[in-house]
Order: sequence, then C-alpha cells, then structure tokens
Amino acid sequence: MSTDLSHFQDAFFEESADHLATMEGGLLNLEQHPDDLDLLNRIFRAAHSIKGNSGMFGFTAVGQFTHKMETLLDRLRNGQLSVTPAIADVLLRSTDCLSSLLEAARGGAAPDPETIAKLEEELASASGAQASPAEPGQGPASVQSGVNQAGGGRHFRIRWTPPSWLFQRGLDPIQMIKELEDLGTLVSRTLDLSGLPAFDVLDSECCYLSWIFDLETTKDKSVVESVFDFVKDEGTLTISESTVSSCEFQVSSSIPKCETSNSKQETSGDEPKPLGEILVETGVVSRETLDHALSQQKRVGEILIEQHAATPQQISQALQKQQESAIHAKKGADTASIRVDTAKIDKLINLVGELVITQSMLSDLSVRFEMSQLAVLLERVAQLERNTREIQERVMGIRMLPIGSAFSRFPRLVRDLSGKSGKKIQLVLSGEETELDKTVIESIGDPLTHLVRNSADHGLEPPDERLANDKPELGTIRLNAFHEGGSICITVEDDGRGLNRDKILAKAIKSGLVSEQEKLTDDQIWPLIFKPGFSTAEKVTDVSGRGVGMDVVKRNIEALGGTVSIKTALGTGTIFTLKLPLTLAIIEGMTVRVGSDTYIVPLLSILESIQPKAEAIKTLVGKGELINVRGTYLPMMRMYEAFSLQPEYTEPTKAILLILETEGERVAVMVDEILGQQQVVIKSMEQNFRKVDGVAGATILGDGTVGFILDVRGLLEIARREIPVAA
Amino acid sequence: MGKTVLVVDDSPTMRQMVAFTLSNAGFTVVEAGNGKEAMGKIGGGTKPDLVVTDLNMPEMDGITLIQEIRKNAALKFTPILMLTTESSDDKKKAGQAAGATGWVVKPFNPEQMLKVIQKVLPG
Repeated sequence: MSTDLSHFQDAFFEESADHLATMEGGLLNLEQHPDDLDLLNRIFRAAHSIKGNSGMFGFTAVGQFTHKMETLLDRLRNGQLSVTPAIADVLLRSTDCLSSLLEAARGGAAPDPETIAKLEEELASASGAQASPAEPGQGPASVQSGVNQAGGGRHFRIRWTPPSWLFQRGLDPIQMIKELEDLGTLVSRTLDLSGLPAFDVLDSECCYLSWIFDLETTKDKSVVESVFDFVKDEGTLTISESTVSSCEFQVSSSIPKCETSNSKQETSGDEPKPLGEILVETGVVSRETLDHALSQQKRVGEILIEQHAATPQQISQALQKQQESAIHAKKGADTASIRVDTAKIDKLINLVGELVITQSMLSDLSVRFEMSQLAVLLERVAQLERNTREIQERVMGIRMLPIGSAFSRFPRLVRDLSGKSGKKIQLVLSGEETELDKTVIESIGDPLTHLVRNSADHGLEPPDERLANDKPELGTIRLNAFHEGGSICITVEDDGRGLNRDKILAKAIKSGLVSEQEKLTDDQIWPLIFKPGFSTAEKVTDVSGRGVGMDVVKRNIEALGGTVSIKTALGTGTIFTLKLPLTLAIIEGMTVRVGSDTYIVPLLSILESIQPKAEAIKTLVGKGELINVRGTYLPMMRMYEAFSLQPEYTEPTKAILLILETEGERVAVMVDEILGQQQVVIKSMEQNFRKVDGVAGATILGDGTVGFILDVRGLLEIARREIPVAA
Repeated sequence: MGKTVLVVDDSPTMRQMVAFTLSNAGFTVVEAGNGKEAMGKIGGGTKPDLVVTDLNMPEMDGITLIQEIRKNAALKFTPILMLTTESSDDKKKAGQAAGATGWVVKPFNPEQMLKVIQKVLPG
C-alpha cells in the first residue's frame, strides 16, 4: 500500500522552527554555562530531530548540513571536545545557515553555497576530524529491495544457529521461516536439537536450536541474507549456493556502507555581493577605506531632499510604498497554521455544545410562544448572549500566544550587536508569558528588532564613555511586556545616554522638518526621530543607521492600531513604549449619539465624561475653545462641527463632553448622549470605502445600521488644526 | 489486524508520520513523546503488540526504555523496533544489547516501515 507522507511537511517545518529556537537559545546559554550537559543534550536532540525528519521528506541538503553540526555536538556532549566561544560561534552561525536551508527547502531563496561549504568546513575542523562520510543513507539496510534474478531458480543451503538470546529480543524463528517461505520454496528444513542441554539446566528463555534449510528461490543471496538482518551479528549463519558454486559463504557482520549520491548541495542562485565587499576582497581598497566611504554615504532620500529634487512628503510616501511592498512580499512566508493547546479546544467544544442547547431551547420556545413566557424568553436570550460572548473570547484566545516567541530572537541579536559594536550589553527579558494575538506577535518582531538595535547602537555608550560617566561598564537593555487595560504594552528600555534634544533639533532643522523659529517642547521634539529620513547617527554603522528607520517602526506599530511613545532623560537612558491592541478585530466601545447618528468611541481612550458648567468654557484667540477640567485646560471639540452633523444640542452645558486621551494628549469631545457600551467588530474603512480623517473604521450596529468608530488620534489632529472635515 | 503499536518519538512530526502509516495499515496506535511517557502508557494498561521507538529522547531515551520494557514480564518477548538515523553499527548494537528486536533506519517510506514490522510481528 502506498501512503503519502508529504502532507506532514508543514508540521515538519513548524517543528523544525521550534528546534532551531531551542538550538539558538541553548547555544546562547551554553556560552555562559559551557559544562551544562543537559543543555548540550537538548541542543543535540533538536539537531538530531531535524536531521532525522528532513530525510523523510528528501531534504538532503538540510540533512547533510545538520549531520555535520550533529557530529560536532556529539563530540561536545561526549566530552571529547569542550565548548569554546569559537565553537559556540560556529554552531550559532550554522544554526542560521540551517534556518535558511530549511527556508530554501520550503521554497524560499537558497542560501549561498559558499557559506554552506565554508561552515561545513569549519564544523568539520572544529570536530577535529576529517569530514566523516555523510550518513543519511538512501534506505534502511534492513530492507533491501529484492532484485529478481533473470536466471530462474537458485538453490541455497542455509545453516543457522541462532544466538541464545533470540527470544529475549522479541525475535521468533517462526517469523523467519515464514519469511524464507515467502522468498521461494523451502525444499527441506532440518531442526537440530543437539544443542539442547539437560533438562535441569535448561533455561526456557534461551534458544538452543539450530536449523538447516534448503531454499529454492529466484532471489539474490543478499535478499536471503536480509531475512537474518536482526540476528546475523551473533550466532552463526552460513548461506551457500549449491547449484552455482559450492563454496560456502560466510556472512560477515559488516553492513554494506550506505553511499550517498547527494553530495552535491541542492542550492542555486548566488546572491551577488555588495560592490564594496568585492573591492575589499580584490584588494582595490582597504576595509577601513570602505567603512569610511560607507559612513559618508547618505540615504538617497536625504540627498534628494537636500537637492530639493523631492519634498520630504514625497520621499516619505515613496518609503511607505517600499515598506508596504516589503511587508507584502514577506506575508507569503508567514506560517499560516497555529498550534493550539488541546484544553482550549475542549473548552470551546463544550461551549459550542451549550450554544446548541440554548439555541434549541429558543427555537422550541418560538414554536409555541405566549406572552406569559416573555420572562423565559428574555432569560434564554441573555444566556445566548453569555454563550456567544464566551465563545468569542475563547476563539480569540486560540489566536493568543505568549509574546516570548517574539522575544526569543533578542538574546542572539544582542549578543551579536555586542560583539560587533564592542559594547558590553546585557539583555533582561520579562513578561514573556504575556499573551497577545498571533498576527500582532508576528508583526511586532521587526519594529522591536529595530528598537533593540537602536538602543544598542545609539542608546548605549561605549564602555569607556560609560565608565567616564560613573556608569557600570555593562549596558542594559530591558524588554518587558505587560497588559494594561485592554492593551498590551511592550517597553524597550536602555540605560544609555538618552536622547539629545539639541542634536535632534539641529538635525530636524537641517532636513527641513521644522523651521528654526519654531519653539518646540520636549514632547514635540522626541517624536521627530520617527520622521522619515531622520537619523542622528554620526556614522553609519553595520548595526543601524542605514535602510529602514524609526519612521518605519512607528508606521508598523500604527498599522496595528498601536502607538509608540518615548520617555528619555539625558545621561540616564531612554524608554520606548509600544502600546498595542490585544486583538485587531474587536474593540470594546462606547456608543454615543450626535443628532441621529451613532458613533463608537474606543473605551480605552475615554478618561471620563462630564457635563460642563458654562463658566468652564473659554474661547482663546487662535486656540479655539478650551474647557477647564479641574484646573487643566483641554481643547474642546464639537463633534457636530467636525463631521458637519445636525446636533440635538449646541450648548455644551446641555451636551456631554467625553474626555479622550491618546499618547498623553487629551481632548474634550462634545456629543449629544451616551448610549451604552458594547464590543464592536471593526470593519476597515480603507478597504471598503476610503480613509476618512477622524474615523478609524466602521461597524454594523445591533439595528443593522453602520456606526463609525472614532479615531481619537485623528480627532486630536483635527482639534489641533481646527479645520472641520467633511464626513 | 487490530494489533496495538506503541510509537515513541520526541519529534511530533515523526510520531505523526509513523502513526499515520501504521493506522492506515490497520494498527491501533498509542503515541508517547519519550521513554517515560511510554512507560506511563504501559503502566496505564496499554499492552502493545509492538513498540516502535526513537533513541534520542529527553526524560528517558530509547535504550533505557527498551531495557525497562524487557523487565516487564508481560512484554519480555514483545518485538521492539528502534528508529535510528545511524547506519553505523554502534547504535544498533547498543539497542540490541538492551533487547531491541530490530531497527528501521531513517529516512524510511511507509512501505519500508511496514515491511520491517511484518518481519518481526507474528501475523
């Protein structure tokens, strides 16, 4: 029977990703604890599993490469070699290479064959052995396919004295005799009992018998031999072919070596090297000259802006487009499957069961409904609502994963950054168990990486500078995740030099982002680093300052409905806080009414709602209306003006003011009435209509009409601009 | 056939593939992620007609598992196949010394696996 195992490929790739993570994390740990045998065993097993599994799918390149890693790991765990930083480094780089080999097997871009060859060499030399023959064989030695001899019947005489332990290993001579019978005709079988000891010393679990078989078959001698595969190392077995030649054939215990025909790497498509690298390699320029030249290199966008060939806006649009296409290209590679705790599924199935019961009770009730049963009906409906809400939460829960998987890449990153920059950096992770939506986890990896790189490169000072400033030589980067209300906060904190107000301002003025006359507060200056084409790094380094910038970080986070904020103190460090929604699909909202229209305000952004006294409202020239809330003046915005609506009230004292907050800024928004609170499913405006300022999306309300979800940040912008927008 | 096979491997993919192959061939499959789990299943009342086990596993490796199974009077003569990537003799020898019946070398295809099983499992 033929069964296809290829549909297990996805499972293989997912499992391999886990193993890679284990290997990487383990290797990083190993650098700190080179004697931890448990750790080594864990890494070894991970490599071993990838090797074993990859063979099943014919990913020879993966199998061979992993085999080389495994050889080295095996020597380490056997104590033949000890873990040195150099070995750990080779293994870490090999893990990367393995990861790209797996990616290639999945249909991604193949890694550079030279890199593989070089790593394989390094692995072999670290193992201290001439490259051992690749082991993954073509097939099990125990099951050789029988090749029919064209020449018809052959006669074999088989003398077999099984080892005495035959039964103790679960072997049964009857099985073997049956197998021999399957090969051809057993002309004779002779049982030799001469080995039987006296009854009183007989061990019933031992085998004392031997046989002589005469077999007529069309099969090869090797096929006959394979019947005894599992026993031929001990006992005696002679197979002689009587008709062809009379010479006895002594079975040797050596198993024919499996040859691999796959020594050629299955890789193609060399990545062209950067020009600079080639120039250095061919000796045209020195490494220093190249680095110097690169450090003077500006980004195209900056050059174009300086030459007035393009406006910052045009550049930023182009960058956005570039980023979008990059995201788009990357999406294809994302894993589409998700692993779910079976307990979660079981709970869900229970809930669905309850839902079905509630539903049948309701339909039963509807068939013979009388007004007197109204109370029962209402109770059932309430139950239905409970069921639905709980199911909704559980289904959302399926998509929730601990953020640890997004954090796991950072120990390695920080180690490499530390090595490259010569700074001593320790990474402290906390809150890894905080759960959030899978799509959010997948999308925050890159922005987080950028922030960590940024902290390592720009935030933390070189060791001498730290020592000179009375700081510990070891710089610290902290990554923390925690829930706050219905959002998740992720902080990237460093104890470095902090943001430099003057430098940022000077750079902003130079790149035309602000004019020299503008007076800016600190809180207005920090966000400037998120503007496209902004980098204060004096020297472009390998680590950061080239390619994507902080603007992309901000845009990616905002695309997820989140915000980025900065807290910094000169000389003591910087904290970037990412605030993200737990899920992208549903928000908790407050429904409010303006005239006859219903709007939804995200509950998270509402601080309070008040009905103001007339004297609390002031009008300032050039600043619009302000409202005094316990001593603080907030900008006040009449929603009916912003969206050109017909309100019920135009008097703030009769209406309701919602105090909304986002990114530390507040605004008071005037509405007619608060209707209630409910969860709403967000439908995208951009996808179904077009982007509207001040509106984050739309939703279908209980009565079937469309309600708009307010974008609080957008409202703030509107309040600041004081320009009414057409809804 | 309805015979029960205990499949022991720490790699879920490998376990699923072996289980899939065996279920298709009409076996009842019990899965375990390592030797300890496997002993737990046996202790919990599973009486396998055949054990297929990986060697490199956390908690309890395959060699130890084989030794433990052989200590159980009821499973003294039960065939045990080890899954191994090594075509070298060392592992096979070690496995046999512990009491393994035979081996299946990875990579294998379903037919190969079933053929080896046929070899050791009385029909």
